[in-house]
Amino acid sequence: MLFVLEPSRECPAMVTGDCEACHALYPGMMEEAEPGKPQQYVLKNTLCVNCHSNTDRDTIKILGGARVPVVKNVVTPSHILAGGNFYYVAKDFGDRKGHNVDAVTSTDAKFMGVPPGYVREYDPSLAGYNTEKPLTCAGSNGCHGNRNVKDPFESIMGTHHSEDTPIDGSTTAKSYRFLKNTDRVKGVLGLEDDEWNQNSSSKKHNEYSESIDLLCASCHGYFHSRDNTGKKSPWFRHPVDIALPETGEYTIYNPDVQPPNDRAGIRTYNPDAPVGREKVPGLPSDEVFPGEDLVICLSCHMAHSSPYGSILKWDYENIIAGEEGKGGCFICHTGKGE
Amino acid sequence: MPYRKGRIVKRVTATVTMPVSVTYNGNVKKLNDIADRRNGLCYRNRFMFSLFFTLCILLLFVCFQSDVDARVKGKCRDCHSMHYSYEGSEMTYGGRAGPFPELIEGGCLGCHAQNPSGDENIIEVGKARIPQVLHHMENSDLAAGNFYYVADGYNPDYSKGHNVTEISLQENPPMDVPPAFIPGVIIPGGNGPQDWPNQRQLNCAGTWGCHGDRTKDDPYEAIYGAHHTDDSEIDGSTVGKSYRFLYGITGKEHVDWEYLATIDNHNGYRGNITHDTMDTISYLCGECHAKFHPNPKLGGRKEVGQVYNSLWVRHPADIAFDSVHGGFAGSEYQAYITYSLEAPVAFKEPTGGETEVDLNSVIMCLSCHRAHASPYPDILRWDYNNMFARNGVAGTGCLTCHTRKGGPM
Repeated sequence: MLFVLEPSRECPAMVTGDCEACHALYPGMMEEAEPGKPQQYVLKNTLCVNCHSNTDRDTIKILGGARVPVVKNVVTPSHILAGGNFYYVAKDFGDRKGHNVDAVTSTDAKFMGVPPGYVREYDPSLAGYNTEKPLTCAGSNGCHGNRNVKDPFESIMGTHHSEDTPIDGSTTAKSYRFLKNTDRVKGVLGLEDDEWNQNSSSKKHNEYSESIDLLCASCHGYFHSRDNTGKKSPWFRHPVDIALPETGEYTIYNPDVQPPNDRAGIRTYNPDAPVGREKVPGLPSDEVFPGEDLVICLSCHMAHSSPYGSILKWDYENIIAGEEGKGGCFICHTGKGE
Repeated sequence: MPYRKGRIVKRVTATVTMPVSVTYNGNVKKLNDIADRRNGLCYRNRFMFSLFFTLCILLLFVCFQSDVDARVKGKCRDCHSMHYSYEGSEMTYGGRAGPFPELIEGGCLGCHAQNPSGDENIIEVGKARIPQVLHHMENSDLAAGNFYYVADGYNPDYSKGHNVTEISLQENPPMDVPPAFIPGVIIPGGNGPQDWPNQRQLNCAGTWGCHGDRTKDDPYEAIYGAHHTDDSEIDGSTVGKSYRFLYGITGKEHVDWEYLATIDNHNGYRGNITHDTMDTISYLCGECHAKFHPNPKLGGRKEVGQVYNSLWVRHPADIAFDSVHGGFAGSEYQAYITYSLEAPVAFKEPTGGETEVDLNSVIMCLSCHRAHASPYPDILRWDYNNMFARNGVAGTGCLTCHTRKGGPM
């Protein structure tokens, strides 16, 4: 995916480095043009993936001096980034482990290009999702860039060289991870870890807001609608955009890490089951406030692809209640594992 | 409905840090204490015997684990579907469409009535053992009975069971309201409904059901969290820690819901003849059928009759044999000696292992009835139409207690 590249001190928003490292990545990348006319890229659909792929296990690579987050490794990735890694869906692992993005893998054999739970009225894009076209990195059939623009390449054009601070959702570049959604919806807000969570910890990680759920809901709106999830417990479907309850088992979120005694009522952030914030903090916080911080789609799922079915952050097949299990669902559902 | 409980297993861990010697009279000595006997064949023999004996004891600990930890075990996905979706399609369970509250796959019946025409009364899904309240396993009904006898689609007879939503249609008046219903009786956590509307059908749980917190209208809210509660101690303090998730009720739960129960290993029902608590199994029945229970918070003496040593207006429950008319001594009830699975009795402090019945044993609703449904009208444990005085079979049905009614007097 098209993530922001390494900022420089002089101009924190712009990618720096050797132009040809990205723009002449391989022979024939640019088609010949008449003198005076701009060159055009060929195989636009693969360009994003080509830059953000790696043949070895590293998930951050250096390209012309720029640090590039890798979303697809050819071999098993060493430390998958926050969005996951398309390795798991590109290989013969099955469609259930990732989004079937064009240039990564073929269209999902089960869904045949239809996003599960797609509801047109929840998709703010003008064009809507075109099920006749493949899922793309960006554009109206993708996640990144301006989803009002059909062409994935155009929808994100120039973003890598634009001012991207502050992240206020006003432009594609100033949206969290270039997730602008559309003009009708403010871009996604968040705090971007400079290593894309590669070395995440309770103190160093991305920070999310509920706006990330609205982006997911653009294509999977059925699972976000209160009419379908229910309006209060007991829920019909697992809710998102609700506060982690401040009662019962949720009061000891992340039970394996005991917060200091002087932080009663505050729990310790766990990147394996992250929460969203009502207000995105300026720095990553290791504190989680039940009753305030939010359950989000990314509390359980990854965005791109993961080693597990349903693009989960953990193996749902091996989450076993009542046997002192740890992690996964039990980070929030603390009473079920013991 | 007896809800799913995982196999009840108590793990006993024995840690040995030092070899020990166990004498014939049971004393245990550290080997250090017998250091002066370490020479010669005699010592070696004793040591080997002691070691063997110790290992045998440890083996016994391992092999004969008893039961306490009863919360559900198993994969989350065996019972829950996060988004009521799989492979892009919504799921149905037994023809019932959802989504279902608590993300349960098929609601109560999705787990507890998985295969009505099947022949399994307990279904194992992963590590969870799930009692089936609706099945067709011959002669294998669980303690509460089997909704099969009253379930639509299976030649139902509505007189044989409770008409629970999604199992049966609602009964016609007057049986659309619980017989002997009294509005606003006191129940654990509050009051029962002030009215039972005619169109209100029975649910598994909640205000209009039996299980869970009956002060909560929504059946799923009423039972919320119970399956994941540590219920190794059944004290009635929460739904999860109540007998069979019948809020407030205590008792001892047979691990197989009385499948293949024996007279020394059965459900232990709680009874209380002082009628000053709300934790007896009969009190639970009385919450809806209040006029049949002598507890003053329910029907009381006015509806049931004088409690002790009197003639009854209605068949009593939560009274002991020694409180019957004329007293226990010399009564026919003295002849009910060995616990009967057909006509069980309750106890003040039930263990589930009682084999004997005496003057303190308590008559309860479940002495005669089952909870869900049975092969017999009035959800009885036996066919009342075939109960004959003077010509009856001793020790069966009514005659289990009324021992002098069956034969020549």
